[in-house]
Amino acid sequence: MNAADQQKLADCIARARSGSLDAWGDLYREFAGPIFRFCRRALPAREDAEDATTEIFMKVREKLGQYDPSRPFQAWLYKVSANHCWDLLRRRKIRQDLETEDVDETPLEHPDANQLDQLLEKRSSQEVRGALAKLPSRSRMALVLRYYSDMSYDEIAESLGVRRNFVGVVLLRARHQLREALAGHGSRGMAAGRTP
Amino acid sequence: MNANPNQPNNHFDEMTCLQYLEGQLERTRALELSAHTERCGDCRALLSALERESRLLTRSMREEEEPVPARLLAPVRERMPWAWIISFGMGAAGAYWLWTTILDPWRAQLNEAGFGGTNLVTMLFFQGALWKGWGSMWNLVQVLAVVSMCVVGYFVLRRGLRRMNTIALVMSALAAALLLPGGASAAEIHKNEPSYTLPSGQTVKNDLIVFGNNIRIDGDVDGDLIAFGNNVTVNGHVSGDVISAGSSLMINGTVDGSVRFGGSMFTLHGKIGKNLMLGAGNATTDSTSEIGWSVTVGGGDVTLDGKIGRDILGAVGRMHMGGSVGGDIKLQANEGFDIGSSAQVLGKIVYQGPKPPDIASGAKLASAPEVTIKTRKLDVYSGFSWWHRALAWGASFVFGLVLMLIAPKFFSETVQNANRYGASIGIGLLLIVGIPFAAVLACITVVGLSVGISTAMLFVIFIYGGKVFVATWLGRMMLGKGGYAGFYASTGERTWKTSEAVGQLALGLLVIYGLRVIPYAGFWVTLAVTVWALGALGLTVYSMMANRSKVAAAA
Repeated sequence: MNAADQQKLADCIARARSGSLDAWGDLYREFAGPIFRFCRRALPAREDAEDATTEIFMKVREKLGQYDPSRPFQAWLYKVSANHCWDLLRRRKIRQDLETEDVDETPLEHPDANQLDQLLEKRSSQEVRGALAKLPSRSRMALVLRYYSDMSYDEIAESLGVRRNFVGVVLLRARHQLREALAGHGSRGMAAGRTP
Repeated sequence: MNANPNQPNNHFDEMTCLQYLEGQLERTRALELSAHTERCGDCRALLSALERESRLLTRSMREEEEPVPARLLAPVRERMPWAWIISFGMGAAGAYWLWTTILDPWRAQLNEAGFGGTNLVTMLFFQGALWKGWGSMWNLVQVLAVVSMCVVGYFVLRRGLRRMNTIALVMSALAAALLLPGGASAAEIHKNEPSYTLPSGQTVKNDLIVFGNNIRIDGDVDGDLIAFGNNVTVNGHVSGDVISAGSSLMINGTVDGSVRFGGSMFTLHGKIGKNLMLGAGNATTDSTSEIGWSVTVGGGDVTLDGKIGRDILGAVGRMHMGGSVGGDIKLQANEGFDIGSSAQVLGKIVYQGPKPPDIASGAKLASAPEVTIKTRKLDVYSGFSWWHRALAWGASFVFGLVLMLIAPKFFSETVQNANRYGASIGIGLLLIVGIPFAAVLACITVVGLSVGISTAMLFVIFIYGGKVFVATWLGRMMLGKGGYAGFYASTGERTWKTSEAVGQLALGLLVIYGLRVIPYAGFWVTLAVTVWALGALGLTVYSMMANRSKVAAAA
C-alpha cells in the first residue's frame, strides 16, 4: 500500500469513526474479503467463517473508537479477528490447549533438507490448505496468524495466550504437523524433523 | 542456543534456523549462524527449505481460490416477506379467537364468581394454573404480550444503560406494573426470620408480607396477608385476602377476603368470607368451616366438608364432598368423586371422571349429576384442535421473528449454542432446577423480592421463548446452513437473509409442534426442547457477560 493509499485509508477510518456510514461501507468492502479468508483459514467450516466475518465486523464497528490510528489498521483488524476466532474455537472446546510444559519435548534436530524439499516440491496450494484444515486448532491458528496475517511473535503470543518464547515452538510444531498431514502418516520421521 | 553438539557435523537445529529466518534470533547468534552457513551446505539447504515452506504457506493461505460469499458483500434489501404477513395475521387471529371463545367467557364467569378486579400476576399464578385453557392463554396471549413488552423495553433502554441494569429495570418495572393494579399500599414486610409469629391481641394495620419457615398469625391483620413459608397458620383475623405458597397452610381463624394458596397441604377449620383458590396436593375443609363464595381447586385429594356459599370448580385426583354447596359443582376428578350423606348441593353437578360418583343415601342433591365417564387424558394437547395448534405455531413464529429482528446477534449466537447440544442440555437441566430455586432464595433473603421476581419472570420468558432457537437450529440442520445475510454493502449494517432464517424457524417449529402431538413422546419432546433451549440461552448469556467482563478488563 503506497503513501496515497494509506492516507486514503486513514481518512476513511477517521470518517467512519466520526459516524459516516459511507466511510464504514468503504472500509467494509475493502476488508470483507481478506477477513473472510482469514476466518476461512482459521475456522473449520465455511459456514463458520461466514458467520465469524459478520460478527467480526460488528465488533470492529463497535470498537473502532478504540483503534489507535498511529498503528497499522490491518494489524489491528487481524488482531480483532484472531481474538474472535480463537474465542469461538475456545467456546466450542475444539481448541487444544497444549500448554508450555511440552516445550522441552520439541526436538532440536536437523532434518534432511532434501527430504523436506521433496515433500514441498510437488505440493499444490490446495493440498497445503487441505493439510492445514487437518491441523489442531492452535497449530492452524498459529500458522494463519504468522503467514497469512503477518503478525509478530508478540502479537501471536497475545492472541493465543501463550508466552512469547513459546511462539516459535508452536510454529515449528505446527510445521511438523503440516508436513505429517501433507505426507500422510507414512513419514512421521520427516514430520518430526529427524534425520533419516 | 548453540549448534547442537549432538548433531552430525555440529549443524544448527531446525528451531534455531527457523528463528533466524523469522528474525527472532539474537544478533550474535544470527551472525554465528550466518557465518556457519557460509561453510555448511546442510544448514544452508535447511534454511532454504524452511524459507520455501514459509512462502508455500503464505501463498496457499492468501490465494483467493474461492470468492467471498455474495451474502457478505451484496445482500439484497428484502421486502417484508410473506411469512411475516401470514404469521402476524395468524397471531392476531389467534389472539382474537382466544379472547372471544375462551378468555372473555371465563373472565365473565370469574367476575360473576367474585374473582373480578384481580391483577395479571394473580391470574397467572392462582387462577391460570387451574384453568383448562391455561395452555392456550399461556401460549398465545399472555406470554406473547409479556415477552414482547420485556424485549421491546429492553432494547429501547439498553442503549443508555448497562445490560444487567437494563434487565433489572425492565423486569422490576414489569413486575411493578403487573402488581400495582391490585392496589399497592405500603406493606409491613418480614423476612430473614426463621419463624414469625404475630401474637394474639396485636393488629397489623396494613398489608403484611412474611417470608419464613414457620409463620403463625395469632393476631389480626387489617389488610392482606401474603405469606411464603414452610408452615403457615392463621388463627387470627385477616380483613383482606390471604395469598400463600409453601408446604402447608392452615386457617383456623377468619379471613374476610379470599384465600389463594399453592402448596402441599391446605386445611380450613375457620371461615373465609369470599373465595378459596387452591393448587394443593391435599386440601381439607372440616364440617365447621365456611366459605362465603366459591371454591376453585386443583389438586390431589380434596375433602370439602364445610359450608360453601356458591360454586365449586375443580380439577382434582379424588374428591369427597360432605358439606353444603349453595351453587353448582363443576368437577373433573381423575380417580373418583364421592358425595357423603351429610352433603347438600343446591345447584347442579357436572362431573367428569373415570366412573360415576359414589353418592351416599342421605345426600341431598337438587338434581341428578350430569356425568361424563372419561379416563384420564395423557395427551394434554388432545383437546385442542388442529386450528389451535396452527395458531400456537403462529404465535411462536411471530415471537421468533420479532426476536430475530430486534436481536439478531443474540438470536444467531443462541442458535449456534444450540448446536452444542450436549452442553446445552446439561446446562439446561441445571438451570431449569437452579433458576426457580435461586428466584425463591432471592425472594426470601436479603437479595430482594424485585430480583427474585425479575429472575422468575426471565425464567418464564426463557421457558416459553427458548423453542424458537432450537427450532431454528433444527431448521438449519434440515434445510442446510444459512443464517444471516451479512452486511449491507453500502452501510455495513448487518442483515439477515430473512428467507433462509425464516424458513428454518418455520420448519423447525413445525417439526417441534408436530412431535408434541405424539402421545407420551410429546411430553418428553417438549421437556427436551425446553431444557435444550434453556441451556443454549444460558450459554449465550454467559458468553455475553464474559465478553463484557473481558472488554472491561482490557479497558
